[in-house]
Amino acid sequence: MGVLSNLGKYLIFVTKIFSKPEKHSIYFRQVFREIDKLGVSSIGIVAIISFFIGMVVIIHMTFNLGNPLIPIYYMAYITREVLILEFSSTVLCLILAGKIGSNISSEIGTMRVTEQIDALETMGINSAAYLVLPKMIGMVIVTPVLVLLSIFIGLVGGWAVSLMGHLMTGADYIQGIRHGFDSYLVLYTVIKSAIFAFLITSISAYYGYYSKGGALDVGRSSTLAVSYSMIMILVSNYLITQIMLG
Amino acid sequence: MIRVDNISKSFDKNDVLIGISAEFAEARTNLVIGQSGSGKTVLLKCLIGMIEPDSGDIWYGEDSFTALHPDQQRTFRQQMGVVFQGGALFDSMTVEQNIRLPMDFFTDWDRERKLDRVNFCLGRVQLPGSNKLLPAELSGGMKKRVAIARAIALNPKYLFCDEPNSGLDPQTAIVIDKLIHEITLEFKMTTVINTHDMNSVMEIGDNILFLSEGRKCWEGPREEILRSDNKVLNDFVFASELMKKIK
Repeated sequence: MGVLSNLGKYLIFVTKIFSKPEKHSIYFRQVFREIDKLGVSSIGIVAIISFFIGMVVIIHMTFNLGNPLIPIYYMAYITREVLILEFSSTVLCLILAGKIGSNISSEIGTMRVTEQIDALETMGINSAAYLVLPKMIGMVIVTPVLVLLSIFIGLVGGWAVSLMGHLMTGADYIQGIRHGFDSYLVLYTVIKSAIFAFLITSISAYYGYYSKGGALDVGRSSTLAVSYSMIMILVSNYLITQIMLG
Repeated sequence: MIRVDNISKSFDKNDVLIGISAEFAEARTNLVIGQSGSGKTVLLKCLIGMIEPDSGDIWYGEDSFTALHPDQQRTFRQQMGVVFQGGALFDSMTVEQNIRLPMDFFTDWDRERKLDRVNFCLGRVQLPGSNKLLPAELSGGMKKRVAIARAIALNPKYLFCDEPNSGLDPQTAIVIDKLIHEITLEFKMTTVINTHDMNSVMEIGDNILFLSEGRKCWEGPREEILRSDNKVLNDFVFASELMKKIK
């Protein structure tokens, strides 16, 4: 019963977010602020993680699959597939769920317990739409960009370690990452990351919006927001993959 | 004028408001008093539509507020100004942005006109020139004054204040009380204030509603509150040594 009631409350909350905005210009400005606050500020961490993961993946592939019967450029090919299919979309979004999800949940939760959301409502402003819609639109725009950036930086990391560690020549690496390239997989990863962005924002905002009590409860909401965002990312990852690639 | 007809509210079988009926007059400072847990805040939240009463009606003039759809209630609330206990200022916005927010949403005024109105409101609460300060840089009393300035930004017909002088020193508390009273008279608003501060009652209470354990126990002007023979009211009013001496 608790799960169903929570799901119903979440769906009502999402409906409230998408109700007609009072003034489009205010929301428009807010979207750019959120892209900067949530997305641009994440570029650094995305770049560092992706670079090192790219480096590690190519070492793993060479160590585990290195065999005279398998062409060496296949290691770069598999690295590219790992980055495009799972790491840069799913794993990166799990990391973003922790960073951005907790940020959104604690920000909105604090606004709830300090009556700032009540203040918006008493002014006649749709607080759910005003606080969440710009974040959601901003995240849905910026997350696929971060994912594409992550793929690129991961590949650069793999290339760097291939050359520095003498795993393969630059030409082999380039041949590997170009081998059997299917742009549909990039489309798949972009769609997937946009859906993950929606889930991270809506679930985190939901837990923040319905926070009660004080600082402890805001912390608890934040933990729940991150946990449920991660679970829903993993569940939807399976469903999207089944639908698009199965 | 605001009229409350027989409203009741309970949470988990715990009756918080029981059949409250009252009238809050226009251009008067109406005070709702009572001990902590007497139902003052729930009554105020019912009045502004943040809590839906289980039964009863709330009338704003000739309009039934309880009959409105939640979206219509939200639109109706544009006629209200609310001052919350902690101020509820938006942390990430400056004082000017806080006061300008309702104007950004609900007016087509140009930037200059909005700034004029912000400056007028800040002047009215005796905080001229504080436009660029952030809430974190304000004292408790200043936060309350900015909250009042924000509440009157769109010239509301109704003003609601939830314990506006809680957490303030006695001098600042009186300043805030008098400010609300002056604004009420100046803009002819219907003002409802929740408080348990007897100083406020004696300073600005034009009409007083006393709640105890969710029920209306007494209603009348402040001149009569000291002469009432209502025992529950007397226990509340004369709880302090100072008030006992005054009696």
